[in-house]
Amino acid sequence: MLKVLENTVPVACWSCSVAHNESTLFCPDCSKIQPPSSGDFFSVFGLEHRLNIDLAALEQEFHRLSRRLHPDRFARASENEKDWSLADTALLNDAYRTLKDPLRRTEYLLKLEGAEMGVSAAAPSDAALVQNQEKIQNQQKTSRVPADLLGEVFDLNMQLEEMRMARKMGQEDPELKESLRQAKEKFVGLVGAVDRELRAQWTIWDGGDAAARQPAQQAMMALLDRRKYLSNLVRDVTEILGD
Amino acid sequence: MAYSDKVVDHYNNPRNVGTLDKSAAEVGTGLVGAPECGDVMRLQIRVNPETNVIEEAKFKTFGCGSAIASSSLATEWIKGRTVDDALSIKNTDIVKELSLPPVKIHCSVLAEDAIRAAIGDWKKKNNVAEIAPPAK
Repeated sequence: MLKVLENTVPVACWSCSVAHNESTLFCPDCSKIQPPSSGDFFSVFGLEHRLNIDLAALEQEFHRLSRRLHPDRFARASENEKDWSLADTALLNDAYRTLKDPLRRTEYLLKLEGAEMGVSAAAPSDAALVQNQEKIQNQQKTSRVPADLLGEVFDLNMQLEEMRMARKMGQEDPELKESLRQAKEKFVGLVGAVDRELRAQWTIWDGGDAAARQPAQQAMMALLDRRKYLSNLVRDVTEILGD
Repeated sequence: MAYSDKVVDHYNNPRNVGTLDKSAAEVGTGLVGAPECGDVMRLQIRVNPETNVIEEAKFKTFGCGSAIASSSLATEWIKGRTVDDALSIKNTDIVKELSLPPVKIHCSVLAEDAIRAAIGDWKKKNNVAEIAPPAK
């Protein structure tokens, strides 16, 4: 009996006509390869939308499916099946890369669930420029860097600039370097805190109904924004410290 | 993507870069940031307490050319205006003046926010009631 995933629709196998979940790479009934579908990455692995996933099982399934999709296995298959094995491999790789990474997985799921990240989902085509600006402006307001960090971020940037200037003059200020090291440590710690909060929201989202998921999605978007900002800073400091 | 000549000009010769005394009563400081690019902008104003005219404006921006140009232009525009008049500056005015492409519009939003933040800080310090900007 087919277990229908909540995030896919059942489609009929091209060969045996038995229904299976969209994005299933092989028919569970006749084992024939299926054409790549427009289903989502979760369903490629037979998963429903969840943020807490078993990474070991995901990796195992990835290897198992990769082997089954290997072109050598389709040497005597029809042209269609040969093409599908390549396209399915590409889909499988994309799906695996996205799902195994906690941040990409979160971003991807939020996108699937209709939450807008960063850039507007609606393409700003030929609509009036002013309207677009207002739209973008409204989005900006929902994705601000928390005021609690602005002062520190600004000071850190000042120190980075000072450091770069000193470098240019061939000077090295050990005190400045030390204070940058401390700042880096602090910001790395803040990234860790964001990751812990993110995981807490995963669990709320996974276990919640639509009403509980909404605030969790908002919280995750804010956390991803904050994380992006913090890791950019850490990257800059790391670069200049050269360690 | 090419920057417009005006952006390049402000980037190469930024006007009014610097710092004002944050603790002075007549100085308002606005510190704003945009998460997608990591830009941070500090804009400061010194206001004449008699006339409410912004006599001096300084900025320091860490960010791309458009962010620097937007804040540089903002300081030029608010100098000599009253605080309420300065609040009427819209990010769309900056976009037009600098011919910013859509992907850089957030830089102009940041500059507008910085003006508002600086004026807000000054008003708070001086117990000036928050007046809604005139509707356009």
